[in-house]
Amino acid sequence: MSSDTLTASPPQGRRLDKRRFEWGSSVLLLPAGILIAAVFVYAVIYSFYIGLTNLSLLGPKAVAYNFTGAANLSRLVNDPFFLHSLWLTFIFVFGSGVVGATVIGMALAVLMQKALVPVRLFTGAVALIAFMLPPVTIAIVWYAASVPQGTLARIFGNPNSDPLFSAPLLFVSLANTWSLAGLAMLMFVAALRNIPKDITEAATIERVGAVRRFRTITLPLLKPTVVTCGLLMTLLSLGNFTIVWLMTGGGPGTATTILPVYSYQQGFEFNNLGYGALLGNVMLIITAVFGVGYVLVARGPRRKKGRSS
Amino acid sequence: MTSATEVVRPAADFHGLKRVAVRRVTAPGILNNLILGAIAVLFAIPLLWLVLASIDKHASWSIALPHFTLSNFSSSLSAGRGQSLVVSLELASIATVVATVTGTLAAYVFSRRHIPWKGAALLFVLFLSGVPINVIIIPMYQIFSQAGWLSVVPTAVFIGITGLPFEIWMIKNFIDAVPAELEEAARIENVSTLKIIWRVVVPLAAPGIGAAAIYGFVNAWGSFLIPLVLISNSAQQPGAVTVYSFISAAGVNYGDIAAFSILYSIPVVVLYLAMGRFFRGGFVLGGALK
Repeated sequence: MSSDTLTASPPQGRRLDKRRFEWGSSVLLLPAGILIAAVFVYAVIYSFYIGLTNLSLLGPKAVAYNFTGAANLSRLVNDPFFLHSLWLTFIFVFGSGVVGATVIGMALAVLMQKALVPVRLFTGAVALIAFMLPPVTIAIVWYAASVPQGTLARIFGNPNSDPLFSAPLLFVSLANTWSLAGLAMLMFVAALRNIPKDITEAATIERVGAVRRFRTITLPLLKPTVVTCGLLMTLLSLGNFTIVWLMTGGGPGTATTILPVYSYQQGFEFNNLGYGALLGNVMLIITAVFGVGYVLVARGPRRKKGRSS
Repeated sequence: MTSATEVVRPAADFHGLKRVAVRRVTAPGILNNLILGAIAVLFAIPLLWLVLASIDKHASWSIALPHFTLSNFSSSLSAGRGQSLVVSLELASIATVVATVTGTLAAYVFSRRHIPWKGAALLFVLFLSGVPINVIIIPMYQIFSQAGWLSVVPTAVFIGITGLPFEIWMIKNFIDAVPAELEEAARIENVSTLKIIWRVVVPLAAPGIGAAAIYGFVNAWGSFLIPLVLISNSAQQPGAVTVYSFISAAGVNYGDIAAFSILYSIPVVVLYLAMGRFFRGGFVLGGALK
């Protein structure tokens, strides 16, 4: 600091101009700290250990399991199902979460600005209810819609066709998009509210068309929200095991074994808890990459204000 | 908000415009409403099945005009399925209490006290709120099975912890908005910190703590994978797992599935609506992104 050159000697004893750590704080932090450490720190470290063992759900290796070093790792890189699953995860997360939910959420928010009140209220209510419903219910209604004799099969003209069987990844993705679009819509409604009215009004007076107005004014101003929303949707889609598991169980065959499903199957259906944990660790690393991105974006505007509280 | 006949005012002789532009029913306006309406109808199809099938005596997987009955709602709760909603309530209540109490104490420190690496710790907490449960379910299963915890109460505590990071974030943001002067007055009177939290901070931040508790409850109520894996007694499974066993069961009454799904979902929707009152839209942003 430049002020050091001015003071003859450093201040003696405790400084009074800086807030100090109070030991009472640690007592208050302790309960939450212990719980979070037990689950998110201990369990994660333990998971990395289990991932390198031959731990099994049943049989002798459920008790007497050993550290097998890189055996699971070499299995992982030679596992064609793993690569397949990684690819499916990418399509599912990127297609339904990042593109699907973000685009539809934005479209809903933008269209709602100019819509008639009843249309706007109806759309908002439906999208929000879809977002609020518990994952299990979302899976049920989409299962009902896409099985033979279901609504979509009838709409497509052949009641005996099986849309869920013919295009399983498409329908679990649609269910995921359906469940997340309401949240994306909320984010974009809030962001659109923050766009100053006079900019768009000025453009309207200059007779700039609606499409160009959206492309050159609204969209650039929404860019931060698009990034935040895309990252949040990535994380939420990665966590959306329940919808896929209930609708297809990862099938037919391996058509929808996204990473969370594959990890669950390895652990609890094929009894390979060790290998399942390793797949979970891969997922954790992917989450961490996107999570760090999300956190950095989320705190972006905060940093400019300087250090607050 | 813009209504259909709003007058765009400063137009009279601006850049050669001759007349005041009155926005009436225009082609783009109709198109706008049609597209939005079409998306809304597509969104409503799955929901429509849920509602119609629940009151249909001969329900199928398809949307159809119902043969009206309310008996699905009572029959869907038979065979121990009503009991599973009680388990859901038990799980969600324990999880909510655990996360909200510990979360409030931690949020108070994050909001008011000076602690080292606070910024980093808060970002870590925010990051944890996005970690998918699948990542830690296998180690948690191993820990629980070795400790003999594969039952309702320990599972409820674990579910509570999964919601804890986000609850800390939400509550912290609300405590930030409570003026510190009130606490300082109490501190001068030598009131203990716990009493200050309970008597000053909690009442003033009550809407935020309430919203966080609702988030915790909804998170636990919807939890499927955790109870499926961690509760070994199938008679002790919550409503979410019951819905799952419904689909896979043979010879099932579709009306029962729909009715049970509605009974299971209603508490969540009602609580979300209550929470929306605290936030007025954009509530998830309120916690994470403000």
